[in-house]
Amino acid sequence: MTTTTTDRAVAQLQPIVSAGRPDARYVVGRLVIYLLLAFFSLFVLIPLAYMISTSLKVEEQLFVWPIQWIPDPIQWQNYMQAFSSLGQIAPGLTFWRILANTLVITLLAMSAELTAVTLVAYGFARFRFPGRDTLFFVMLSTMMLPGIITLIPTFLIWRNLALIDHYDPLVLGAWFGGGAWAVFLLRQFLLSIPPDMEEAAVVDGANAFQVYYMIILPLVKPALLALGVLMFQGNWNNFMGPLIYLNTTVQFPMVLALKFFEASISNEAPKWHYMMAMATVMAAPLLALYFVAQKYFIEGLTIGAVKG
Amino acid sequence: MQLSAWESYAPTLLRWLLVGGGMMAMVVGLNKGLQFIGVRRETARGLALVSPWLLGLLIWNAFPFAYSFYLSFTKYNIFQPPEWIGIQNYVEMFTKDTNFWPSLRLTLLYAALNVPLGMVGALGVALLLNRDVKAIGLWRTIYYLPAVLPAAAVALLWRWMFSPGSGLINFLFQPFYALLNVEPLQWFTEPRLVLPAFVIMGMWGVFGANAVILLAGLKNIPQHLYEAASIDGAGTMQKFRFVTIPMLSSTLFYTLVTGIIGSLQIFTQAFFIPIPRRAGTFLNVLIYQEAFSFRNMGYASALAWFLLVVILILTVLVFRSSAAWVHYEGAKG
Amino acid sequence: MEKRTWYKFIILLLLAGLALVACGGGQGETPAEEPAATTETTAEEPTSEPVAEEPVGEKVTIRLSTWAGVEEAAELQAILDEINANETRFQIVHEPAPADYYTKIQTSLAGDTSADLFWLSQEHIAGYAQQGALLDVTDCLAASDNPAADLDDYFPEILKTAQLEGRTYGLPWIAQPVVLFYNTALFDEAGMDYPTAEWTWDEFKEAAAALTQDTDGDGTNDQWGFTMNGWPPPQMFVWQAGGDVVTADLSASPVDSPEAIEGFQFYADMIYDDVHTPPEAVIQEQGFGEMFKAGKIAMFMGGAADDLDRVEGMNVAVSPVPAGPGGRATFAWNASTVIAAQSENADLACEALVKLTDGIHHWKIVAPRLSLATAEGIIAAEPRKEQNAAAIAEAVADMHAFTIIPRQAEWDTIFWSEFMDPLFHDQATAEELAPEIRGQLEELLP
Repeated sequence: MTTTTTDRAVAQLQPIVSAGRPDARYVVGRLVIYLLLAFFSLFVLIPLAYMISTSLKVEEQLFVWPIQWIPDPIQWQNYMQAFSSLGQIAPGLTFWRILANTLVITLLAMSAELTAVTLVAYGFARFRFPGRDTLFFVMLSTMMLPGIITLIPTFLIWRNLALIDHYDPLVLGAWFGGGAWAVFLLRQFLLSIPPDMEEAAVVDGANAFQVYYMIILPLVKPALLALGVLMFQGNWNNFMGPLIYLNTTVQFPMVLALKFFEASISNEAPKWHYMMAMATVMAAPLLALYFVAQKYFIEGLTIGAVKG
Repeated sequence: MQLSAWESYAPTLLRWLLVGGGMMAMVVGLNKGLQFIGVRRETARGLALVSPWLLGLLIWNAFPFAYSFYLSFTKYNIFQPPEWIGIQNYVEMFTKDTNFWPSLRLTLLYAALNVPLGMVGALGVALLLNRDVKAIGLWRTIYYLPAVLPAAAVALLWRWMFSPGSGLINFLFQPFYALLNVEPLQWFTEPRLVLPAFVIMGMWGVFGANAVILLAGLKNIPQHLYEAASIDGAGTMQKFRFVTIPMLSSTLFYTLVTGIIGSLQIFTQAFFIPIPRRAGTFLNVLIYQEAFSFRNMGYASALAWFLLVVILILTVLVFRSSAAWVHYEGAKG
Repeated sequence: MEKRTWYKFIILLLLAGLALVACGGGQGETPAEEPAATTETTAEEPTSEPVAEEPVGEKVTIRLSTWAGVEEAAELQAILDEINANETRFQIVHEPAPADYYTKIQTSLAGDTSADLFWLSQEHIAGYAQQGALLDVTDCLAASDNPAADLDDYFPEILKTAQLEGRTYGLPWIAQPVVLFYNTALFDEAGMDYPTAEWTWDEFKEAAAALTQDTDGDGTNDQWGFTMNGWPPPQMFVWQAGGDVVTADLSASPVDSPEAIEGFQFYADMIYDDVHTPPEAVIQEQGFGEMFKAGKIAMFMGGAADDLDRVEGMNVAVSPVPAGPGGRATFAWNASTVIAAQSENADLACEALVKLTDGIHHWKIVAPRLSLATAEGIIAAEPRKEQNAAAIAEAVADMHAFTIIPRQAEWDTIFWSEFMDPLFHDQATAEELAPEIRGQLEELLP
């Protein structure tokens, strides 16, 4: 048999290996890909450059027109000063505290969500029970009511539990199945995996838990990684929840602390340089996380591509 | 009166562990319990697995949904008890509110453009990032950037990108303007350009979550299917049509449904970018305005429920159509 | 196998959790109760003395919600620290909500977890008071002997925004008059006289036109005499023409009176026209206040406290705004601190309110009090304004605030989207639009 490519699941521009001809097409194909990648990345990199450039400027230079890409002088201190200026609002509001707050919210919520989502999605995907499809649709419809309207009723529930000004409203709910979108996504993934391997395992005597843990979970690893990244990011950047439920300033996560630099109702001018510095600090871990996660996407494939 | 870090985390951590443990116990217990009373094994397991969500539905969704539905028949200003007024909110919505129809139109048009373009764009980006090109990891991370920036930063970036004189958009379109001999477009100030501007902004979102999801979906396609297709003599386009798309269809279905739900509820960008009022408002922004600016909570609830019905109908239609084009390898029943 | 170890783990966790909860003496529960507990120790009847009920040494927590950004919050905290240090019965804790402020406080009010004190800008107080969200502080203010509780010392124009039907619901903490900032260098270059307190609309308009120039000869203007984008408020020009948009007795919205039309049209004729002011697109691109700070605008109408005169390398002076055919008037933005009706410490909250307000009056410019709104008072509060304090003090005399109705938000929406927006974009004249808009606006009056 002619060798298959060692490329990953490639859908386009897949050269068929035979003598001679593919090389030119291959090279051109690669070139096109690089060009496309580079072109579209401009749309991303230029705004990023603007953001970083703003974060390094002195306040007086923020709106010098035309745009000055390389700040002069380069204020590395902005990054420190942004956080130290927050410390004056409430003693104890240091970088480490804010970071810890953010991590507590994000990690607790995310791990609970992931655990719960795998259970619920598995239930919807692989088991028949009366009312399953109706319930699934009901779950989807919970996404359809704008969150603004449920803001006050949900707040009332938490208030009756006397949990206002705590982190609980932000992390406890995650145990109840995560978000409907996450269950929906994972269910779709599960449904696209043929049940052959599970059935084989059952025949071999595996119990339900083993089937789940050893067959299903590895197969949906790409989806779980994607979900993990998205959940991390969602909680990391969520500011409405913390705004509504947290009163004490020292409990604020980073995304809320960033709001202190925006224009306030008192018409104080926004501190763009601090805002961008903080936004950069917030984006960096997310990007790092994503970079690591997407590497594992590739590994996930080799487990899934079992032959025979 | 300083709240130490430990004081603020510990109680929550504790309760989190308790709830988590309780949830697990409930799943296991329900499974055993249902089987004990004679329920079929598959049904028991299914119900047990789904029970955390069911419980959540009863606790967290039932009351807010019911309450907001009730509020939609009342006049409620948040400070005083709601006052029952029957279907008056709905009547006013369709007949008296001058903001309603333009907003509905703008929102529907936006969704109609954003959803297909977004899906195609996200698929394109995912395919592009599915390469084994050198440093692809780096490229993927760069492309993920838009998704991780906080909204305020993004709004500032868009304000700059769309600025008529020196923004990136007009700069890139410069050749087209010269070719067609038109003035550079006045984004954000010309009402007719509002919709295209938001669609373009929505396209930026394709680089984010949906591309990640489709990329994961692509990774999920077993390699041997492509190999088998090659052996059968399939070319690139055929492989795309007969292997990639069907295997990806369940994920595509997901992006379609969530795309509809999400784009009809567009809020954050619309909130940060000032729109000439003649162009209309997006429905979700209108709801927010009525709820928290004007404190017509009852009317806002009515608007929200109307939006829900619209989304529901569209979703049902999409579900009905799914039998025709969505392919589940591992579907049961 | 693995399943059983999972079981064990979960059971252990549960047991550990229970043990901690039991042994911690409800450590996990009390933090939730604490804020409520401290406030519950005080009595609710207005007649009883809170001090007698309070065990000595345990301070009641009075919570204050504001929208302060980073600098403002830091400065406010300094004031609070001083008050708290000198006060034995209560301490004020600051709980800023830096974004979506009104969503936050409305949700808190709905859920009965609101702070005792919170800030409201002028346009909201009437509505909140009418619907019972605010505490009537008229009596408790009368009983206090703190200078900030003396209602006669407040500018009547400003105080009225915190009052409804003769009762007072809060204390204004600032009254920022709009003044004319001007870039002296640009005037010098053009050889023109600086704005004075005697200026009228005509001189102002002439100067704006003369200072709108193409300085680098590339065919487009890059310097403008003035800038506007909906700010300064058009209502200010209506007042200067002698008209009003809402009458004092809230019975009419005479936007179609000849004076009002004159004011609106004057505004509309100057906005975005590239003869006196920059086009809309340029402002979008380069920012509004930012353009003045970059030296591209000669005159700017801004709040007295704005930092426009502290830009390095620019010499910026201040003058009162020009007078119109109906006299001189300037808009004063103000905000008040109010007490939530649901507060459980009404008396202490009122005392805290008064002390807090007095502290703010010595920090913000301009304080809404006759005794403090002098040049000396301004310099004492904000030494960096020394150069322009006299001009600001002059402007104070002409301060005029919006007349607020309970449904102000809806009134504003119609005013801006149906009237101002088309007017600014030259879709119709003030005369054409005003009569119809009047009807729509008057529907919303109480």
